[in-house]
Amino acid sequence: MKLSIKAALMAAVMFGTGAQAMETVVWWDFLGGGDGVRMKKLIEDFNTEHKDAIEIQATTLDWGVPFYSKVQTSAAVGEGPDMMTYHASRIPLAVSQESLTEITAEDMATMGLSADSFAPATWEAVQVNGKQYAVPFDTHPIVLYYNKDLLEKSGLIGADGLPTGLTGLENFNAALAKLKADGNEWSIAQVTADGNFAFRTVYSLLCQQDGQIGNDGDWFPGDSADKLATSIGVISDWVKAGYNPPKTDYPSTVALFTSGKVPFMINGVWEVPTMDDLNKQGKLFNWGAIEIPALFNHTCTYSDSHSFAIPNNVDKPVTPEKHAAVLEVIKWMEARSLFWATAGHIPANKAVTESAEYKAMQPQATYAPLTANGVFDPKSVLAGVASPLFDAAGNAITPAMNGELDPADAAAQMRDELNGM
Amino acid sequence: MLRNRRTEITTALILIAPFLIVYIWLFLWPTVQMIEMSFQKAPLIGKGKWTGFANYIRMFKDATFLIAVKNTAYFVLLSVVPGTVVALSIAMMVSRLKGRLQSLILAAFFLPYVLPVTVVYVIWDWMTNVQFGMMQGLITFLVGEPVNIWRTVDWFMPGVAILTIWWTNGFSILLFLAGLRNIPAELYEAAQLDGATRRQIFLRITFPLLWPITVLCLTIQLILQLKIFDQVYLFAQGGQTRATMVLVQYIFEQAFQKNNGGYSATLAVALFVIVLVFSLLQFQILRIRGQR
Repeated sequence: MKLSIKAALMAAVMFGTGAQAMETVVWWDFLGGGDGVRMKKLIEDFNTEHKDAIEIQATTLDWGVPFYSKVQTSAAVGEGPDMMTYHASRIPLAVSQESLTEITAEDMATMGLSADSFAPATWEAVQVNGKQYAVPFDTHPIVLYYNKDLLEKSGLIGADGLPTGLTGLENFNAALAKLKADGNEWSIAQVTADGNFAFRTVYSLLCQQDGQIGNDGDWFPGDSADKLATSIGVISDWVKAGYNPPKTDYPSTVALFTSGKVPFMINGVWEVPTMDDLNKQGKLFNWGAIEIPALFNHTCTYSDSHSFAIPNNVDKPVTPEKHAAVLEVIKWMEARSLFWATAGHIPANKAVTESAEYKAMQPQATYAPLTANGVFDPKSVLAGVASPLFDAAGNAITPAMNGELDPADAAAQMRDELNGM
Repeated sequence: MLRNRRTEITTALILIAPFLIVYIWLFLWPTVQMIEMSFQKAPLIGKGKWTGFANYIRMFKDATFLIAVKNTAYFVLLSVVPGTVVALSIAMMVSRLKGRLQSLILAAFFLPYVLPVTVVYVIWDWMTNVQFGMMQGLITFLVGEPVNIWRTVDWFMPGVAILTIWWTNGFSILLFLAGLRNIPAELYEAAQLDGATRRQIFLRITFPLLWPITVLCLTIQLILQLKIFDQVYLFAQGGQTRATMVLVQYIFEQAFQKNNGGYSATLAVALFVIVLVFSLLQFQILRIRGQR
């Protein structure tokens, strides 16, 4: 009797230690869309491959402010995850709140990665004061989606099968006029209900004119505020001319495009899977996506980067085993980011984008070179997705795009609001 | 029977201790900390620096704070009394029905109340979508063109008020219905014998006897609507959040988005005082009127 109890205890102890050898990595992300489905597949594959060694326990939280509030508050009391996805643009704020752990050169070496693995702008985006706080996983800019069938009808497809005659604002607007005249209900779908979202387009156009978004105290240096007004004016002119539907929200622009009512759409690369899936079901026309054409001096597109970060869980030091497991997860994900590219995002790891498999992927390979012309958020605690900068854009740009506010006034309002913070 | 006063007090203390501890720990203590924080320049989490009344001075000069107060007041105006009137009229209509039909209709009116705000948001967002929404037909009929309610500042608060009434009315209807059932039928019979008109019956019997319920409804609604946040936050996100800002939303923005723990605590104290003053005032005024 006693012996059997002893044996049971023994077994329990041994079983216990056996279970301890397996590391669990608690993972938080904010990927709720088509990309979330693909991330779940990656996590599943990781867990299968690392059976009995490492297990990712993933939770998907709400994108934006809710995610970042939760990370900040939970890290401060030592209840954060072991790792998480993070927007590069949000890193300066997180560093000021001390909620991220530095990624050391040693860590990078362990993962077999270095600065050379990434595009310069992307690499720069995860550094604050010379220290690295995240590992870039992708860049996700906005692109110009097009309905090839409708463009062909209006003679806007060139010999190479790509849209043509879109360079320069005049040419671009002429193309929009042609599309409208050829019987399309609208010519282009840019989100006009959310200045917050439209800011990505406005910032790209600002950069195309060599305008800048500065930093605390002087947000629009030089004549950047005038250039900002010009950028906003481009969209408000589209609305005024009836090319772009007014006050239209994100889901509606996608619905207008996928139902063939509008031949162009400016949206994030993350809508690629939506088109892909519809296409596979035979419910979509011929389509493609290209870098936003140079409407001004040169091409330039606003980008952000999904990266992997390790929270600074206060009073809860990480064991070396756990840290190694986290690095293994990041290393594995970086190496498998080709699959992530099916979500539309451009893998940050150059080894992946330079592979033959990636170059065969369409439309990804067509727009991927734009990472060389990317512009990221300014390094400020007030910038980044769902930040005060984006909110200021929402307040100023939303009415301006829809003709309720003069673009110049909107630019001044945005400048004054940010400078006053 | 002889009782020892001291043991009596001890027993009482032991019995209320669980409540007291939880109340002091989870309610009073955070409130004290909030007030303390409102005098500091502090991040959301972590230690702050004492700055005296700086936050309060800033608050009274803050244009956004004034907008938020104005919007909150406007919303209360649009939702509290109209919501209660709608609830009363629906309750009176429902009370005329009998049996199963009454339960069915009542359930229909109560259904929105059980929905979470996110679901309410999605339903209304689609119904009012400027490109595809079914309500745009009605809006086009009324004003001649489709309107994006949530992106047109003048339409925003009335829109939120209407959906809030639709959403939260079920509870007030239930309260009124319970009140109506408590009015003795004899009163109505007597009034009818005396030849009272329906208008007189309502004004002299139904409404006075329902007054306590009306006071309760108005007070609950007032406190609830002063704290409006979710609907406005959800419908305004990405748009002109400044123009449609309400108080709790501003507290949230300062605390969680801008990491200004101290200032957001100041705003929270202001809201606390406003809610306290208004609910006391309203309750007093309504009580005095009721005694007449």
